[in-house]
Amino acid sequence: MKPAVLLCLLSVAAGGCASQGVSIRSLPSQHPAADNAAAVERAAGFAAAAVQASGAAGETGQDSPQALPPVTPADAPSMHTYDPWERLNRFTYRFNARFDEAVFLRLSDAYRRVPAPIRSGVHNFFGNLSEIDSVINYALQWRLRSSARSLGRFVINTTFGIGGLFDAAAKLKLPGAPTGLSTTLARWGMHPGPYLVMPFLGPSTLRDGIGFLGDYGTSYGIDVAKLYRGNVSWGLGALNAVDQRSNINFRYYSTGSPFEYENVRFLYVRKRLIEDEGLRAKDSNKGASSTTQQENAAEEPAGK
Amino acid sequence: MKASDTFSARESRNQGWRVCLGLAALLWGAAFAHGAEPSAQAIAPPPAPGPAAGLADSAGLRATVFGTSAQNLAPMPSTVPLVEINIALPWARPVPDVFWFDRKLRVWFSAQAKPAPLAIVISGTGSDGNTAKLSALRGALFGAGFHVLTMPSPTFPGFIVSASSTGVAGDLMQDGHDLYAAMQQLIARLPRKVRVTEIDVLGYSLGGANAAIVKSIDAAEGKLKIHRAVMIDPPVSLFASIGRLDKLFAINIGTGDDAIERLYRRLYAELANSYRASDRVQIDRDFLLAAAAAALKTDAEFSAAIALTFRLDLVNVFYAGDLYAGTGVVVDPKHPPRVGDSLEETQRILRLKPFAEYFTKVFAPYYLKQRPNATAASLIADNRLDIIGDTLRSDSDYYAQTNSDDVILNAQELAWLKDTLGSRLAVYDHGGHLGNIGERQQVSDMLRMLAGNWPGAAK
Repeated sequence: MKPAVLLCLLSVAAGGCASQGVSIRSLPSQHPAADNAAAVERAAGFAAAAVQASGAAGETGQDSPQALPPVTPADAPSMHTYDPWERLNRFTYRFNARFDEAVFLRLSDAYRRVPAPIRSGVHNFFGNLSEIDSVINYALQWRLRSSARSLGRFVINTTFGIGGLFDAAAKLKLPGAPTGLSTTLARWGMHPGPYLVMPFLGPSTLRDGIGFLGDYGTSYGIDVAKLYRGNVSWGLGALNAVDQRSNINFRYYSTGSPFEYENVRFLYVRKRLIEDEGLRAKDSNKGASSTTQQENAAEEPAGK
Repeated sequence: MKASDTFSARESRNQGWRVCLGLAALLWGAAFAHGAEPSAQAIAPPPAPGPAAGLADSAGLRATVFGTSAQNLAPMPSTVPLVEINIALPWARPVPDVFWFDRKLRVWFSAQAKPAPLAIVISGTGSDGNTAKLSALRGALFGAGFHVLTMPSPTFPGFIVSASSTGVAGDLMQDGHDLYAAMQQLIARLPRKVRVTEIDVLGYSLGGANAAIVKSIDAAEGKLKIHRAVMIDPPVSLFASIGRLDKLFAINIGTGDDAIERLYRRLYAELANSYRASDRVQIDRDFLLAAAAAALKTDAEFSAAIALTFRLDLVNVFYAGDLYAGTGVVVDPKHPPRVGDSLEETQRILRLKPFAEYFTKVFAPYYLKQRPNATAASLIADNRLDIIGDTLRSDSDYYAQTNSDDVILNAQELAWLKDTLGSRLAVYDHGGHLGNIGERQQVSDMLRMLAGNWPGAAK
């Protein structure tokens, strides 16, 4: 299994290096008619949500007296990002961009030709496996109801969803709300730490990096159905990576900008800080306990 | 304004990223402040007459930011094939270390199965060849039976590095020649089974002016035999338009570092609070769109968003120009930065710099050296559309569409367009700058212009 995967990766990488003058990369066809229809639908959805939000806005203040005070401009973090490992990070960023162009992107292009139902089955399958991490981490975060819900999702999807290929639980009004070790660490009070570009994986912070490794270690330790340590582990790992990549709409250096490293760093870190704010607010709402519906509707960020 | 009007932007591969960058521009803040500097400049910056927001009223500003509303989009084909072409151009110069990723020119191409006319579409200032606006135009043109080739703006860093013969972007004629040369290479290397019956060029914003210039160059050189050109919301005086965007920035964001810091902090708090109030698991594109709609309320805020988005693009042009021209504003010509070097401070400095400074410190010094007979005034004059005014007036294969509330035009400039193009100009009441691309009327008029089926067309 291993040599086959390696050979495949190498041949794709070699193909990426071969073209000098012109290279043509075929992309999935666009479907503008369907996209427009979706845009109309989304606009209607947004309009409805806006009406709902403006109705709800007046009440929340009174309903949750213990809720956190709103974030003020003075609370905003500095515009400068703490990045003591910048030199290494920049090299890793460039390595990731090259690897992405030569290997990842090609694999995910090829993968997109696989019929959509099969791809969504694969996506659901890996999502279901990561539910185990959510069960554990929600428990560590002392969110027992969410932990139970994740466990419920895992049981339903593994049985009725045929080994996780279908998200049956979502159809039963139990939508996924993944969490992970990074969120647990945040809840325990750990700061994001310095910015970190992880090889292959991309933008992260020290805390998110530890979270990723911890989550992987947990899966590896539990080793459900020998998927992580058995003979198929390499192939599955590669499939998981390709599935994840094909679901991320990001192309390295599509901005063409020499400042892309700075821009991505700025956006990533602010995004995670704002997600932490959301986490804090949910904790505080839980204390006030009048807005349980919100707790049910969604949980905190999945980390990556 | 109805919320349904606001979320109109189409799904596209790049759009999430563009939205993020737009918001980044907002979060970032940038500063206009360079006023403290002793201005011992021999070269006067281009004048920018008229109000900072051009002809735009409140609706024009909003249309510029939010684009065409989903309900008004033109009918589109169900499937459009797409390939990405990366091409190394023979005249490309050594690629500086910091631009290692921009070695090849990247364009996007949609081919018809049968012989068909080719529409080449040029992107707007600072943008690549696969924006949401280009997707809309691609869909419309492909649906009407064209092969469609979408190209980056000559001010996009990827173009500056891979295809520009100077590295100093923003000169209409020079950029036109670079585009024209790149088009010839691209057309020669299209997939073999593609049969092209004729070639038309289009572009939006600066790309519109580029398209017209390319057609005029082709009229003299005759290598592509371009038939028609359609300009969508073109500038009339490039530097005056940009100068007004600088003013818009100064008025609505302010001057000085603390103004930027203030804007950033306010927007951060606003985003954080709306994220808390939302029931989202993660910050995603839909959340950002909704948050942007909530964060932008007043005309000043919309103006700030427009000015900032532009400034973010200018930073790249400025940096590349300074690097290639060796003018030493932020890049030490003897020790250009390498891959591991931080550019944060450089970016911070450039955010403070308006276009006027690019003109006086990079653009004009470079081109004055290249063209011994030129003056600063002549460089500015060369960047007005009236360098091809006579052609535009007499050749009935040039068309344009614009809006009477466009941010980048003032009243004189709109009058000039009307006077020059006559019936070959379509003026719409609303749309701001590019806020009606892909809209029914815009698309059907554009297709009629390309078909030679428009009042004033040559028979």
